Amino acid sequence: MYPPPPQTPPPAPQSWGQSGPRAGFWSRFAALFIDSIVISIIPLILIAIGASSSSRGLLAFAYVLWFAGYIAYFVYFEGSASGQTLGKRILAIRVIDFNNGGEIGYGRAFVRLVVRFISGFFCYLGYLWMLWDKEKQCWHDKAANDVVVPVQYYPVP
Amino acid sequence: MRARLSASTSFDPSDTRGAAVAMLGAAALLPLLPGHAGLPCPLRTLTGVPCPLCGMTTSVEATTHGHLGAALQANPAGPLAVLAALIIIFRRPRTVIRVPVVVVVATLLGLWLFELRRFSLI
Repeated sequence: MYPPPPQTPPPAPQSWGQSGPRAGFWSRFAALFIDSIVISIIPLILIAIGASSSSRGLLAFAYVLWFAGYIAYFVYFEGSASGQTLGKRILAIRVIDFNNGGEIGYGRAFVRLVVRFISGFFCYLGYLWMLWDKEKQCWHDKAANDVVVPVQYYPVP
Repeated sequence: MRARLSASTSFDPSDTRGAAVAMLGAAALLPLLPGHAGLPCPLRTLTGVPCPLCGMTTSVEATTHGHLGAALQANPAGPLAVLAALIIIFRRPRTVIRVPVVVVVATLLGLWLFELRRFSLI
């Protein structure tokens, strides 16, 4: 059970330890970094307005929006056919199903998001896992049975 | 796993340029929001235990406004992140840097100890 071979043949002398090209640690880090900032813009502005007008209702709404927006953003984009959030699009990487290279769907994207919280609990051990994992999978990739790959070799359908 | 810990990650500065611009932009604009919050840490919000990157919003923002002391108190990695971002944006290095896996792990562990100490948990 391996993902289909990359559509663009990789350069010959490359030797991957895994069954196909995988996105690297720093591009995944940069993508998540950009996403975190993007989804925080509107909630942060609402929080500032709420704080300056001492409106507790608005503050509470802003935090709920932040949390709900965070979940919706990742589930919607990573579960979509492209498997790309805005950050992943900028970094030209995407999330695909480990077995068939297709989309992971919204259900597994949600599982991936929930497990991401666990991945971050022990000094980000679950995130660091990809540094020594054969398929460069973090804990949340394993839970959702996905891999993160460069668009160059696995083009968006 | 032992063999892989001695491996290294490829850090391509051009990959992180977008993130560097986003970080410095956010740090410059954040003070425009009165009473603004940092990005809440899920771990600390849920359990009270800080993560290695707690204090990074504060630290990066303080650095960009010249408050180095406050930055170092919040998280020592903030000034380094700002310096790295400036180099990546303005010097535009083209070389891919090999960062040993053990350096990534050790840095995070070190920062975690710092944050646990800051929140008086150790």
